[in-house]
Amino acid sequence: MSTVASSPAVATLSSRDSIVNVFDTFRDELDDYHDRRERLIKSSRDVTNLSKKVIFLLHRMMTEDASESDDHALSMRAVSRAKEKLRDIQKLFAGMREEVAGDKFWRYQRNVSPGLQEYIEALSFARYLEFRTLISYDEVQKTISDEDGKPYFPLPMEDYLLGLADLTGELMRYAISSISRRGGRSKASEVCVFVRGLTIDFEVFVPSFRELRKKQQVTSQSLEKIEDVAYAIAVRSSEYDLPPELLDDIVDRTVSTAAYGGNRDERDRRRRGGRGREDEFDEGDDD
Amino acid sequence: MDPHNLEYINDLLDKDAELREKIKDQVTEFDKKTRTINGMLNKIHSTPTDKIPALLDNAVPVLESCRDITAALSELIPPNQFWRWKDMWSISLRNAVFASTLIEFLKSGALLTLPRSAEVLGIKEEWQDRFSLSVEDYLHALISLVNELSRLAVNAVTLGDYEQPIRISVFVKDIFAGFSMLNLKNDTLRRRYDSLKYDIKKIEEVVYDVSLRKLAPSAAKGDPLAK
Repeated sequence: MSTVASSPAVATLSSRDSIVNVFDTFRDELDDYHDRRERLIKSSRDVTNLSKKVIFLLHRMMTEDASESDDHALSMRAVSRAKEKLRDIQKLFAGMREEVAGDKFWRYQRNVSPGLQEYIEALSFARYLEFRTLISYDEVQKTISDEDGKPYFPLPMEDYLLGLADLTGELMRYAISSISRRGGRSKASEVCVFVRGLTIDFEVFVPSFRELRKKQQVTSQSLEKIEDVAYAIAVRSSEYDLPPELLDDIVDRTVSTAAYGGNRDERDRRRRGGRGREDEFDEGDDD
Repeated sequence: MDPHNLEYINDLLDKDAELREKIKDQVTEFDKKTRTINGMLNKIHSTPTDKIPALLDNAVPVLESCRDITAALSELIPPNQFWRWKDMWSISLRNAVFASTLIEFLKSGALLTLPRSAEVLGIKEEWQDRFSLSVEDYLHALISLVNELSRLAVNAVTLGDYEQPIRISVFVKDIFAGFSMLNLKNDTLRRRYDSLKYDIKKIEEVVYDVSLRKLAPSAAKGDPLAK
């Protein structure tokens, strides 16, 4: 049987020198792998950091400017700032292109994926604020491709879906923090509907990705939280015989009184509120 | 989620699941084959040295039948996705490479190279991005080889072959010298490499016992491999 060793000159090694020489080339190959891996982990971490900043920026800009009544204008301003920063992240992906060329991408996919997921979270959050829609797989892939539409690397479906699963968390935070703003309650319920729909769509993907299960649970919890808030508001507002805009005013004034160091007892009383009427606000502490 | 996107995702996930099933089928076969071979090779521990060639001749055809598996896998894996799926068959592949290197050592006392190990299993150069034998898998197989040889050193003596431990000792030390050229990180390869020293110690003890009792021919000590 000559199959296993038909050309002994190259097929087998029988001296220490020849064995050590071969291991020399193994060392080069393993070193290349470890070094590349380190570089990609670093890049991925940079992507994560920048993406987190984009998300914070969006949250901040959507809630800090209390004087802005036009929600759309607010969103557009936030989104255009975010887009600039997202472009910086896309440059980082372009820089990884060579490192993960050809069959290398899947070797390092796990090292790249944390950053990629965070990026998708930021990108899809900006997309939601801009159009109130979900960014599609193709659209995400397009943002990590060159001008000719050639992908820097293939977008793993898992990263796309896990990035979106994190988006729901950001949306819930956004809904909660905007609930006290003008029009916030309708916005919160809009977000709720969106997230609920997404969670239902995601349910079928859970068997394919283990990590998704945990994220789905977190989403369900946040959904419940915001549903409780919506419930509380609905119950309280039923006590007021008021159109939603007027209720907005009340909430707004309460919040601003609080913000300007208003009388705490007064606020408490109002929150406990009986038959709340606008005129009540002008009355003194008569209880 | 818009229906188009949803459909796209579902379609892709279905395809992946289907592919995974097909790979799994092949890997199950691969696993059966490598278990059969390793079962056969296990008999080296109870076979007198002069009967070993016949035993190896029986194992080789089974080993060569693994070529069907590697060919099927190379067909299944989409271009550039080798690393995405390779974990599924790593264990079987390492076992097959281990068997090839063990057979080679028992035949010629030499180390089967990585390219040649791939060739034995019918792995072709042009499959590179779909199916190949990675350095890591080859090195894992070599560690298994050393583990196995330390056991053989003991059993060979029991069967009255006092030269085998000395051959093994020289060979294993060469491999160990090779491994010490590597910059291993804290991974499974590193941990298994760390275990090699126990194998070497065990082999050394056997060699010591054999030499002390002047069981091994003294020529073997001076020129152990006697090529």
